[in-house]
Amino acid sequence: MTAVPPGDAPAPALPSIDARRLGQAEQHDTLAARNSRLTPGDLLTLKVRRSEVTAGGDVFEEFRVPYQKWMRLLDALNWIAENAAPDLAFRWFCGSKMCGTCAVRMNGREVLACWEAVEPNMVVEPLRNLSVIRDLVVDRTDYEQKVASLEPWIERPKPYAEFPEPLTHKQMKNVSQALDCISCMCCYSACPVIGLGNLTDFAGPAPLVQLGQTALDPRNNPEKVRRSIELTGIFNCVSCYKCEEVCPAHIPIVSGVIEPLKAKAAELSPEMARHSLALRDIVARRGRVDPGELVLRVQGLRGLRNLRRIWRLFARGKINPLKTLLGIKTSAAEAAARVLDDGVGKP
Amino acid sequence: MKFAYYPGCSARSTCAELNEATHLVAKRLGLDLVQLDSATCTGARELRAIDPAGFYALNVRILALAESYGLPLMTICNTCTLNVLDAHAAFVSDPELAKSVNARLAGENLHYSGRTKISHFLWVLYEEIGEQRLRQQVVNPLAGLSVAAFYGCHITRPPAHYGFVDSRNNRALERLAEILGCRPIEYSGRTECCGFHTAAHDERVAIRLTGKQVLAAKAGGATTMVTPCPLCHTVLDSFQPEMEKDIGQKLEMPVLHLPQLVGLALGLSPEQLKIDRHMVPAGVLDGYLATASNAPK
Repeated sequence: MTAVPPGDAPAPALPSIDARRLGQAEQHDTLAARNSRLTPGDLLTLKVRRSEVTAGGDVFEEFRVPYQKWMRLLDALNWIAENAAPDLAFRWFCGSKMCGTCAVRMNGREVLACWEAVEPNMVVEPLRNLSVIRDLVVDRTDYEQKVASLEPWIERPKPYAEFPEPLTHKQMKNVSQALDCISCMCCYSACPVIGLGNLTDFAGPAPLVQLGQTALDPRNNPEKVRRSIELTGIFNCVSCYKCEEVCPAHIPIVSGVIEPLKAKAAELSPEMARHSLALRDIVARRGRVDPGELVLRVQGLRGLRNLRRIWRLFARGKINPLKTLLGIKTSAAEAAARVLDDGVGKP
Repeated sequence: MKFAYYPGCSARSTCAELNEATHLVAKRLGLDLVQLDSATCTGARELRAIDPAGFYALNVRILALAESYGLPLMTICNTCTLNVLDAHAAFVSDPELAKSVNARLAGENLHYSGRTKISHFLWVLYEEIGEQRLRQQVVNPLAGLSVAAFYGCHITRPPAHYGFVDSRNNRALERLAEILGCRPIEYSGRTECCGFHTAAHDERVAIRLTGKQVLAAKAGGATTMVTPCPLCHTVLDSFQPEMEKDIGQKLEMPVLHLPQLVGLALGLSPEQLKIDRHMVPAGVLDGYLATASNAPK
C-alpha cells in the first residue's frame, strides 16, 4: 500500500501486488475474463440438481449446451427446457433483475440466473434454507410468513403535523437502500445462521431487509417497531457479510439494515442488546475488552457453568480472573472514558 | 520499514501469544513496530451498531495516533481491520462527521486529517516485504506441511469495498503457505464465518458453524489450520473440545496464528512463538521442523 520511498535502492521492476486481489485473475473473476474463455459453439457442461420423485433421492443430471455470445445461465436453462428436458422446473419472469424469482446456486454461489454469465462447467442447484418443490424451484412460504409476522408497514398513531412531512435524505438513506430489495432469497440461502435451522430465532437477512424498509423510517410508530424487532432474534447475526456478498441489488445489508435495526433495538428494547451494551460499558471503563467480564455480564452465572473450559483457559493464561476483578487503570481506559462519554456531536 | 502497530484486545488477552509472535516475526522481517499502547478497543461489532458516534471516535483516535507518528498502521485482527477501514472511509467522505470526531479528540491534542494507511499483517507481507524477500528469508521450509487456510470474514468482506474481491477467490493465504514451503489444501471452509461475534451470548452458533469447517479441513487432509484473525483463532482453538462433543468425533486440529506459521518458516521455534499456549497441542508440527534446530537462532 505504501509507496517505496524516493531515493531508495533502484527498485527492481516488480509489479506492485495488491494482496486483497490475489486470486481474482486465476479464478477468472471478471465478466471480461469469463466471456473471453468461451467462443460461440463451445459446449458448456451443466450439472443440474433434479428432484428424483420416484427413487427417493436427488440426482445431478448432466446437460451439454452450445454456447452463444453473452449467454446467461437463464439462457442455458431455457435451452435445456426447449431441447433436452422439457420437464425441468425453474422459475423466471422478467429476465432483467427485477422480479427476483430466478435465483439459484451456481458453483456454490447464489446468483440470479438472468444476470449471471455462464462458465464452461457449472453445477446448478436450488437455493438453500428453503424447502425444494421440484428441481430448482423452492417454496417461499416460510419467508413470506416470517415477513408478514413482522408487520412490515408504517403505523401512524397520531395525526402528523404538516404536509409534506420534513424528511431528510440522511434519515431515509437506509430505508431507500432497503427498498431496492427484490426478495430473490439469495441472502437467505447464503446466511450461515439460517443454515443452522432452529438453533436460534434469527429471522435472517431477507426478512430483516423487508422490516428495515419501514422500521427504519422515522415516521413509524416506535411501539410497533419494538414489537417487530423483538421477533427477529437480530443479535444472532454473526456479521459475516455473506448476505451482502450475494445481494444482486447491492444492498449493504449488514451496515445499512441490520446494524441500524440493532441500534433501534438497543434504544427500544435494551434487554435484547445486553451483549452490545455490556461491551460498550466495558470498553468505556477499561479501554479494552476483558473477555471474562464480558461473558459474566452477558451470561450471568450461566457463564460459570462450563468449569472445565474456564480451567482450560486459565491454565493457558488466556483469562486472568485477577485482572477481571481489579480492572487496573490504563492509558487506554482514560482515553476511552474521554472519547466515549463526552457526547460531543452525534453523526 | 516502520509501522504504528495496533494489536487489538484479543492479542493482549486471550491470544497474547499472537502479539509476542508478531513482534518476533516483525523483527526477523525487518519491520519496526511502534505499538500503540494507549489505543482502545475498536468497538468490535457491538459499538458500531449501537453507538456509531462512539465507534467513529475510538477508531479515528487510533488512526490519529498513527498519524501523529507519521506512520502507516498495521493490524493483526480482521474485525479491527474492517473497523478502522470503515471509520476511515466514513471520516473522509463526511466532513460533518470528521469535524465532530476531531472535536472529541481535541481534549488530548489529537487530530486526524485522513492520511493514515491501513494494512493487515497479511497484506504487509505481500505489499511491503514482497514475495521475493519473503522467500529469501525462509530458512526452514515447512516442506509438505498441509495447511488449511481460514480467512475469516472481515479482511475479505464486505465485497466491493477497500479492494476486496469476491471472498471465495482469495488466494493470499494459500499463496503465502506455498512461499513458506507448505502445501495448502482445498476445502469448503476457507472463507466461512467462525461465529465469534455472537459467542458471548450464544456459543452454540460458533461451535456448530466452526465444527463443520474444522471437520472439512481434516477431511481435506490438513495437518494444521492457519488464520489471520485472533477472533477466529479463539473459536477454532479454544472451542474445539466443544465442537468435538457436538459432532461426536475427535478433531485434534492445531490452529496457528498467521505470524506463527511465518515464524516457523523463518526458523523461530514453537516455544519462542508460544504455540504451547494454544488449547489444541501442536506436537504434530515438530516433524516438519527437522531443520529448525540447524537454523540460526
